[in-house]
Amino acid sequence: MLRIHEVVPWLLLLLGLSSCGIAIPQDPEGTLERVSGGTLRVGVSENAEWVQLPASGDPEGIEPELVEEFADTLDAGIEWVQGTEHELADDLHHGELDLAIGGFGADTPWIKDAGITRPYTETTDERGKTVKHVMLVPLGENAFLLKLDQFLQAQEVQL
Amino acid sequence: MNNGEKDAARFGHTALPPEQQRALRKAVKWEWITIIFLAVSTFLVYLVLGNSQAMKAAWIEDMLSFLPPISFLVATRVIRRRPSESHPYGYHRAVGVAHLVAAVALVVMGGYLLVDSGLKLVTAEHPTIGGITLLGNTFWLGWLMVLAMLLTAGPPVVLGIIKMKLAKTLHDKVLYADADMNKADWMTALSAAVGVLGIGMGLWWADSVAALIISTSILHDGIKNLRGAIGGLTDTRARTYDDSEPHPLGERIDAYLQSLPWVREARSRVRDEGHVFHIESFVVPRKWPGATLRRIEKAREACVGMDWKAQDMVIVPVTVLPEEFLPGLTQGGGEYR
Repeated sequence: MLRIHEVVPWLLLLLGLSSCGIAIPQDPEGTLERVSGGTLRVGVSENAEWVQLPASGDPEGIEPELVEEFADTLDAGIEWVQGTEHELADDLHHGELDLAIGGFGADTPWIKDAGITRPYTETTDERGKTVKHVMLVPLGENAFLLKLDQFLQAQEVQL
Repeated sequence: MNNGEKDAARFGHTALPPEQQRALRKAVKWEWITIIFLAVSTFLVYLVLGNSQAMKAAWIEDMLSFLPPISFLVATRVIRRRPSESHPYGYHRAVGVAHLVAAVALVVMGGYLLVDSGLKLVTAEHPTIGGITLLGNTFWLGWLMVLAMLLTAGPPVVLGIIKMKLAKTLHDKVLYADADMNKADWMTALSAAVGVLGIGMGLWWADSVAALIISTSILHDGIKNLRGAIGGLTDTRARTYDDSEPHPLGERIDAYLQSLPWVREARSRVRDEGHVFHIESFVVPRKWPGATLRRIEKAREACVGMDWKAQDMVIVPVTVLPEEFLPGLTQGGGEYR
């Protein structure tokens, strides 16, 4: 059993550390720090108006545009990586991507391999079901995720 | 001896002394308050559950906390029934059944959470907690989790302390188990809060470690209660409401019977039926004619008058104390030591 004298030092430690100017949340793998002023590795999987992959040039569509704007706020360049959803989820899981887009819904089956943002817009599919649109991020990179969430929630996504 | 018939009118909860009646009414009231508090707190925590394993463990513990108050309220209804032809001992065992159900639930969930959290730690799964938008502001969901945990940490402790006193007065082990769990609840809430703050500081493992601590405490509660519940249902010698020692009533009854001038030897065996005890006292009279029915009945009434729990009691006059019913007899009477 945990006793009060075991808990209090931990709380004091946490309070102490947080008052020393550590921003909460932090990334265990330092994603936000690395991409700021650096390169954002973005996985893309073609999906209707969300992600379009022209024969030449950068990806187009709603989500690549959002990602480009987001990268600008971080002063980051973008490295586009094309793949199937399965490949992108696997790359996220192994820390080889920082972000994946492809018209993912909040009920995505890749939840074991990747974290998801808050839904930034909603659409209705041809079966009348509401789809909440999200992007995929590496698991547990919470500072980066919060930054992206804050950016996406501030956008008015026009369909 | 046919005391059962004469006892029927006083057996069951109608015979509770005023102090116990008051305690029972209070206990029912506080258990309803507990249920209302739990409903609010589980809903609150559910809203901010997110991906934290520690939060999930704390939430499941909250859900499990519904079981003891519900079993208590159901059991207090069932045991109000009078003994019937098909239930000559009354319905007091309902308390034991309720206790067992609650204990098994605790053990199963505690075990499940322990394995689940352990696996998350071993596979180094990084818990993901992002932003939440409230009133146009997007901030870290973890702060809300910590807030929810701190808000729900205090009240159960107060509930636990109040119910603990009532459990002692009522000799109610379900109420005791419930109060005990409530009293320990702040540690769960605080562990979850520390786990979430740990995630915030980039220590992904803090969450799983906090969840491990919480699940260990659930499992610990479960095993303790399971032991108590099974002990009660398998006729362990009656113990005090917190199972800390043999209940002193048996010793008092033996001492009283032995002090009677017509009694040479007396020993009892006592089992806990839930709230009340079932007592069989074996008495060896000095001379057989000395054990008149009047004396035996008077002795019985005196014993029953000692404690409200001692209503279902029989006195059996015997020539020799029966070793097979009173184990430990030949080792110098260790029964109540």
